[in-house]
Amino acid sequence: MVIRLKPTVFLPLKALLAAFLLSTSVMAQEIGNYDPQEAWDGNPDINGVWQAIGTAHWDLQDHEASAGLPEMGAIGAVPPGQGVVVGGEIPYLASALEQKQANWESRPTGDPETKCYLPGVPRATYLPYPFQILQGTDKIMIVYGFAEANRTIHMNVENPEPAPLDTYMGRSHGHWEGNTLVVDARGFNGEAWFDRAGNFASSNLVVTERYTPISPDAMLYEATIEDPTVFSRPWQIRMPLYRRLEPNARVIEYKCVEFSEEILYGHLMKREESEE
Amino acid sequence: MKCRSIYKVSFKLISALAMVIPFAVNAAEPNHIQIALSSTNEAVSWYEEYLDCERVIDRNDAVVCGDTNIEFFVGRTVGGSQGSAVDHIGFSVEDLDAKMAELESVGVRGSGVRLIRFDDGALVRDIPGLFKIAFITDPWGTKIELVQDEAVIGFHHIHLNSVDPVAALDWYNQVLGGERESLKGMLDGVRFGDIWVLASLFTDGRPGITQGRTIDHIGFQVADLSAAAAQMNQLNVEFMQEPMVPEGARSEVNQAFILGPDGVMIAVVEPGWAGIEEEAFIADSSDSEELYVVPRTPWGEPDFQGIWTADAAHGIPLQRGVGAGEAGELTPEEAAARRERGTLNSIWGYDREWRDTTLGYVRSAPSTQAAMVIDPPNGQLPETTEAYKQLAANAPPRIPPQRARTPVDLGTYVRCITRGPVGMMMPSIYNNGLQIIQSPGNIAIQKEMIHETRVISTEPREGFGDGLKTWLGDSHGRWEGDTLVVEVRNLNGRTSYLGSSEDMKLTQRFTRIGPDTLRYEFTVEDPAVWTEPWTGMFNFIRDDSQYELVEYACHEGNYGMTNTLSAARTLDAREAEEADYQE
Repeated sequence: MVIRLKPTVFLPLKALLAAFLLSTSVMAQEIGNYDPQEAWDGNPDINGVWQAIGTAHWDLQDHEASAGLPEMGAIGAVPPGQGVVVGGEIPYLASALEQKQANWESRPTGDPETKCYLPGVPRATYLPYPFQILQGTDKIMIVYGFAEANRTIHMNVENPEPAPLDTYMGRSHGHWEGNTLVVDARGFNGEAWFDRAGNFASSNLVVTERYTPISPDAMLYEATIEDPTVFSRPWQIRMPLYRRLEPNARVIEYKCVEFSEEILYGHLMKREESEE
Repeated sequence: MKCRSIYKVSFKLISALAMVIPFAVNAAEPNHIQIALSSTNEAVSWYEEYLDCERVIDRNDAVVCGDTNIEFFVGRTVGGSQGSAVDHIGFSVEDLDAKMAELESVGVRGSGVRLIRFDDGALVRDIPGLFKIAFITDPWGTKIELVQDEAVIGFHHIHLNSVDPVAALDWYNQVLGGERESLKGMLDGVRFGDIWVLASLFTDGRPGITQGRTIDHIGFQVADLSAAAAQMNQLNVEFMQEPMVPEGARSEVNQAFILGPDGVMIAVVEPGWAGIEEEAFIADSSDSEELYVVPRTPWGEPDFQGIWTADAAHGIPLQRGVGAGEAGELTPEEAAARRERGTLNSIWGYDREWRDTTLGYVRSAPSTQAAMVIDPPNGQLPETTEAYKQLAANAPPRIPPQRARTPVDLGTYVRCITRGPVGMMMPSIYNNGLQIIQSPGNIAIQKEMIHETRVISTEPREGFGDGLKTWLGDSHGRWEGDTLVVEVRNLNGRTSYLGSSEDMKLTQRFTRIGPDTLRYEFTVEDPAVWTEPWTGMFNFIRDDSQYELVEYACHEGNYGMTNTLSAARTLDAREAEEADYQE
């Protein structure tokens, strides 16, 4: 059951967030001057294959190099990386912080990514794989490779409709604010994590994403994360997304189910020669 | 910029291209082509940029290409020019290889050019003794041939489709003048100054009439329309419109419309003509054959966007029963009964309540199609090869679910991986939704079942190399007229459809045949398995108003997998126990 937030709780948080963002939006000011190429409808043309570069998929926050799966040697280890959380801190409520710690401990089998589950939002954006944006007539589709996830962003609905049911990828409604595609994503089932470090939210999660072209081949991606059952205030991540410049850049279906079956069903398998 | 009022080719863009050429009844000259489209401004820019035509001063709806004007008007079309009585128009360039390389590098995203490749994948073909040729379509569906004919650079020819090319060319020669000549001794034609009228034999029934297609009509110019009309009357030429100055015309213009062989609408105009208002065409558009006009995306591609379902097709068997004859259709009652029969009892333990196709919210009536296979025409799959028969006979027995050792024994569908490239499109008992979203040069086809999305480029693109194969393969798309043709390559062969091998070649065709009907055809070529290719077909029905694809997190919710394996292990344990007891 989704717990709906009372608006009275929300207003001060929003005001707080606004002040918070104002103080940190240097990058946002710099992008004001770029005049992006127009798509058929006069809005910025963000069609194409994009990818985040960095280590946000390991951990949204600053992290040192650390050991991973010993049998994989250095390949399985976690590389060091700079965080993408604006201000650095994820404002967990105390109880939620315990859950985050538990997630961290259980991550070799507990991370939805290791189980090949749909990655959710915003995690799908900065998984280390390309994704493709198609700007259709009244919908925008984002197609991701991992687990063949995808999102339909409804551009033709004035007011966001409630999601028919809660899902991994949620329901997305978008509109343009100047050169920025603003997407309201909600209707999540609370099963997805944000990264391999166990950062997470509940089914009350609302993500407001902003995609702003800053050059022909880069967009600024900002996602504001609100979930009053997990966080004490809204917080934001911010990173560039880069256009994949290879002429044959493609999103390739990554059907990862078969690689998760040992973890999920290994205890139920009969060990003998079994061939496909 | 160039100002010219004598020769005009009017093109209709959005849906029709009209072309007028100078004419000579006893000196008519081809003078224009008219094209229908969605934006005359864009068309002017496009022809200016890519075909070196020149903008006509003070006009935003016409260009001049050599001595021929192309005029554009906004209107709906009933399809591109290909297959109509004026199949395409030709332009000659100095260096065709360079031109095609330029167009290819710009791509459909930048230019809206769609390149048409020859069977071997090449863009340019050198015809010995003639010249190099290539084909493209403009963003509005007008087919254009590019040639490298040093004799004439610029507008080059009008190419007709005809059931009797010789008679057609004779007619043009007799009625409109020109010289009955052969282009380089190879192509029979009529030459009007620098411009050729050529004709090819049309073998697929009759070509479509031009009116309403992207090349709406062609135009010829005469010095004295009254005299020309009198002469045409003597030749029993059919007039679609007697000479008149249409109301609302851009300027005084004296013109007539005649009907050429095979349904070519031809304008005959007097000098001084300076344009034809689109109203003039709309006003006298006759009640021609009712053809469905495939809507266009704002950037000019056939628009398939929306939500479609295969619910109505559920229950169509792949093959027609042996001895069922050639009848292709069931009565609606038979179709409903068939579906009901197929769903009376549970299917794999899925009771009626699970199944979209048995619940009341499927709006479309069940398909009356007798079977999916349309080729071979008897509705049955071709013979399998001897090699395949042997292979099938020696195949190891399938492991029943209650004996499944690992998920692999249960198959890729139960594992929520895929139903395979053929199977993924097939109607099923639930989750039949299909969502299509397009962007210029790309079309995404999202299937609800399991959740699988393919992004198909409709521009030629470098495919996967031999070292990369996937479950659903690499989809190469192209538009053939209003049909999306998709060739699927680089399949990993780990799924099989009725025994298909890893070398299967799959070709899919999607055609919007009505506002709510998307025809889907799939051709399977697999010489290792079937002695000849076969083709199946069924329709997806549009259901935008009520249907929304819901995330099918199949693997995430695959409790069936846990339960099945758990049951199998319980069975193992019980048998082991019994064996111990026996001992």
